[in-house]
Amino acid sequence: MSENFTIPVGPLHVALEEPMYFRIEVHGETVSKVTINAGHVHRGVEYLITKRNVFQNIVLTERICSLCSNSHPQAFAMAIEQIAGLKIPPRAEYLRTIADEIKRIASHLFNVGILAHLVGFESLFMHVMEVRERMQDVKECTFGNRMDIGANTIGGVRYDIDDERISFIRQQLSSIEKEIDELITIYSTDNSILRRTKGVGVLSQQDALDCGVVGPVARAAGIHYDVRIKAPYAAYDRLDVAVHTFQDGDVWSRAMVRLYEARTAIDIIRQSLDSLPAGPTVATDERPPIPAGEAIAKCEAPRGELIYYVRMADSPKPERVKWRVPSFLNWDALGIMLDRAKISDIAIIVNSIDPCISCTER
Amino acid sequence: MSLKPDNIEALLTATALGGVSFRQTTDAKGVCSAWCTLASSSDLLATVALLKTLGARLSTMTVFQPKASPPPPAPKEGEAPPQPLTFFGGVIQDGKSYEIAYHFDLDGDTLTLIVHVASGGQVDSLTPLYRAADWPEREAMELYALVVRAHPNPQRLFLDPSIDNAAFERLIPYSTLTNAGVSKGFWEKIMATTGPKS
Repeated sequence: MSENFTIPVGPLHVALEEPMYFRIEVHGETVSKVTINAGHVHRGVEYLITKRNVFQNIVLTERICSLCSNSHPQAFAMAIEQIAGLKIPPRAEYLRTIADEIKRIASHLFNVGILAHLVGFESLFMHVMEVRERMQDVKECTFGNRMDIGANTIGGVRYDIDDERISFIRQQLSSIEKEIDELITIYSTDNSILRRTKGVGVLSQQDALDCGVVGPVARAAGIHYDVRIKAPYAAYDRLDVAVHTFQDGDVWSRAMVRLYEARTAIDIIRQSLDSLPAGPTVATDERPPIPAGEAIAKCEAPRGELIYYVRMADSPKPERVKWRVPSFLNWDALGIMLDRAKISDIAIIVNSIDPCISCTER
Repeated sequence: MSLKPDNIEALLTATALGGVSFRQTTDAKGVCSAWCTLASSSDLLATVALLKTLGARLSTMTVFQPKASPPPPAPKEGEAPPQPLTFFGGVIQDGKSYEIAYHFDLDGDTLTLIVHVASGGQVDSLTPLYRAADWPEREAMELYALVVRAHPNPQRLFLDPSIDNAAFERLIPYSTLTNAGVSKGFWEKIMATTGPKS
């Protein structure tokens, strides 16, 4: 087998819920070149956001992405709060952290679950999704929704938790804690997982630095960068946040970073519940006037650094809002990860960057 | 707390020979945002090369067309006409010139490097220095009529090749038609055109 072929993968593909098209040139069974064709869900949200006022945009930004839906309005609100000089109350800082970490657990478990599915380990896939379902229950009970949780507003949060809710969250965390520990053992030792993921889709630390990748993709390649530590926001400056890095930069390392981060998220939520201060959840009950100005805000979305740039002029509608999602940088690194990969590993490698297409294309 | 290294403003001033305007703020948690505007976009590559030696990571870039300055009052007889408002560096703020902001991460802090380019102007590609500039520059080229000079792969990123470039400057999206609102305004337009049902 030494003939060259070009095979199309996508735009709709089993590894992805969303459309992305890959033109893959193969030599025999081995990938020799990858061309990514994007734009299938380009919706012009960056244009639309300049046609709505900042309060309407809290709703719009939450709809840019589903799995990291909480991170968008949070970063947008942080930028507006900087421009308006609003300081959010301490209770709101902790509640933002809790919402962030609940979303992180659900997002990470979804990705490692899909990995099990792609490996053909269906019982493990269903088990991971069952564990994740308990976080979905937490979201539904705490926020009233399973994906777009509507937690953020300009100047604070739109939800609060009482003792009964706190005890429910603690109970759910205890139940998934043991399960995630078990999942870490399975993903570390099971041969069906290890054979398909170890040494597959490698991104070296130097390549990771060159591509500027972020989040679990960067940390799996040995880059010790986490916005929660490097540029703390919400309550992260008062919490103990463990950053997990691996050195091999392969599919397995990326999955393990996500599993350990889901485990750490449980600790962070518990710390937040333990030290949840009393007090208001918003800085002001009024809609504060937003003066002209510009600001940068960053947060650690489940897929990595999410950065927002907001420019306000003399209107309640922003003059320009730009955001860069973590997937945007991680796509480019796929070309390196897929180089000389086997055709059968393509879906596993693509899934390992936990790609988000609606986020990327906006 | 301030941006590291402490002498970064001096380094930027020494590198960008056309001149820089620099400011920085630090939030309550010690996270720093710095803004450095270059008077001349021809200093861009040298300045970015400096940032690379300082270990900066390119997060992304923002391109937009800041609104035109309000028209000055008409000059009285015998007075010279007022000068149009310009950005730092002299590019006229006419609503068509571009502000290009490159957002760099310096170990958690952010340095935003800003250049202004007049309508129809060009800016150097950062992709030879930063691979992470590839996609943002390609996106900028399809949304605006901005020319990114010497981009190694100036292919379309998101928009189909059959669509002309500068979509942000040219196209009238459905959201404009409906004023980005729900259908009330839309139906009022229709009613105004067709008249009430008899």
